[in-house]
This record gives sequence, C-alpha cells and structure tokens, in this order.
Amino acid sequence: MSDGGVVAWLLGLSSVLLLVVLFIHLLFALLLIIPTWRICVRAGYSGALSLFHLVPLIGSFIVMAVLAFGTWPAGEAPAGRR
Amino acid sequence: MGTGISALMGFFGLTSLFALVGTALVAWMAWRIVEKAGFPGWIGLVAILVSLTGVGSIVPLVLLWVFAFIRWPRDEAVGVLPGVPGSPAGGPPAGPAALPPPSQALPDRRSWRFAGATMGGEIVSLVIDGSSATYVLTSALARQPTDLSIADPSVGQPHARLLTSGARLGLEDLGSRGGTFIDGARLLPEHRARDISNARSIRLGGVALTLTRS
Repeated sequence: MSDGGVVAWLLGLSSVLLLVVLFIHLLFALLLIIPTWRICVRAGYSGALSLFHLVPLIGSFIVMAVLAFGTWPAGEAPAGRR
Repeated sequence: MGTGISALMGFFGLTSLFALVGTALVAWMAWRIVEKAGFPGWIGLVAILVSLTGVGSIVPLVLLWVFAFIRWPRDEAVGVLPGVPGSPAGGPPAGPAALPPPSQALPDRRSWRFAGATMGGEIVSLVIDGSSATYVLTSALARQPTDLSIADPSVGQPHARLLTSGARLGLEDLGSRGGTFIDGARLLPEHRARDISNARSIRLGGVALTLTRS
C-alpha cells in the first residue's frame, strides 16, 4: 500500500467515525428534543427552542434555564397550587 | 435531561465535582419547571436526583417523556388560555376534536335578584351581580356601591351583610333589631354567615324579599 493510500484510508476512517459520532449525538439529542419540543409548546414558547439540545454540553442547560426562569407565555400554575 | 448532560460531561472528561454542580443546577431548574406546570417541585428534584443513585440515567429520560405528555394541573386550574394547545391562537380549530375542553373553574356569571316591597308599599328590587365580595343591606342612604338601601324603618342601619363567592350567596345578620329570616327561620348574629344560595325568600325586619337568579 502506498503512502497516499494510507492517508486516504485514515481520512476515510476518520470521516466515517465523525459521521457515527454525529449520528449518535443526533439520536440522543432527538430523545431529548421530542419531549422538550412539546414542553416548550405547552409553555407557550416556540418548539424550536428545544433544538438547543443539539448544542453540545451547554445546550440542555440553556433550554432548561429558559423554561425554569422565564415567564411562560401560556401561563403558569398559580402560586397557591404550588 | 440529566442523562445527556451526565454523558456529555463524562465525554469531555470534566471532573465529577463539576458534574455534581451541574446536576444540582439541573435539579433546581427541574424543580421550577414542574412547579410552573402545577406539580409539586420536589417531583422534578427527585426525577433528576435518581440519576445519582444506581437506578441508572434512563429513568430521568423516561420521566421527561412522561412529563411532556401527561396532563398538567396548570391546565385544569386556569381552564382555557390563549396559547394552550387545544385552543390555537392562529387559525380556526381543525375539527370537533380540536375544541378546547370546558373550563372547570368558570365562575357563575348569573346575578342574584331580591324582589319585594317595603311596609310603606315601595317596590324593592336589588340586583347582586357578584362584582363585590360583600354587600351591606341597610335602610340608610347608600354611600358606597356595595351599600344596598332598603328604605324601611324596620330595617337596621346596617341590617345584614351579603357575601358572594362564585355561584354561592351568603347572608349574615349584623345584630339588627328587626331580625333577619331565611325562609322563615331566624338568622341570629352568632350564626355568622349562612349560605342562602338555595333559599327562596329572606325577610329583613318587616320587608319580605323573594330570591331569584337571572
């Protein structure tokens, strides 16, 4: 196998690995996005807010922080019921 | 949501202390989120913290899905609000299935009406629309919108108090000399407020009034 063949093989392997990692990331993110999309819509936000789960590491924190500290446009449970 | 965060933190090789702080932050935010949906806050806290035990991180993920699709107490409390799924803000509902559910906390908008005549023959007609929580029945001139004046010497100044609460109407005697009667039975001041929603007539001193709803 020539040197060029090795480089091409490594490049191919790394790109495949990258794709696999991306695919798994998307799969896990989707597991979070689907329920969070519905929660965001029920809270009165756009469902697209849940797409922050695609951001690695801090995306989930952003979605949760918006839901936890923002005032829900669709209304929150009154304080007396909490 | 704790699952992805825990996994990502492990993936990036962050210290377990940082992961712990992140979990605590997530637990706190989960507390606030489930509170806004109308659940007790500790449910959200426990849902996140079970991932710290040996149960595994799949449990918070399952609970997230459950939380997203179960009925929220918030929706039962406030009835139909704009923006709640089921009453879309834009566009007409697609069909009968999209109609919002009936509100359970809808206040009764019908008003109460007292009708009768004083001993002098003057017609008495009082309408209680429930816009105030209390009304005072008196023979003095009405000084406030909640004063209901009945110009009769047998009616005290003040005579009795009416209390409204949703679809219910209460009556309390304020120590009048002429006495207050509900369907013929004497109401004493020590009885405090009595529910007269189902009463047909009340008597204030010598003034008999029939109670109807409209």
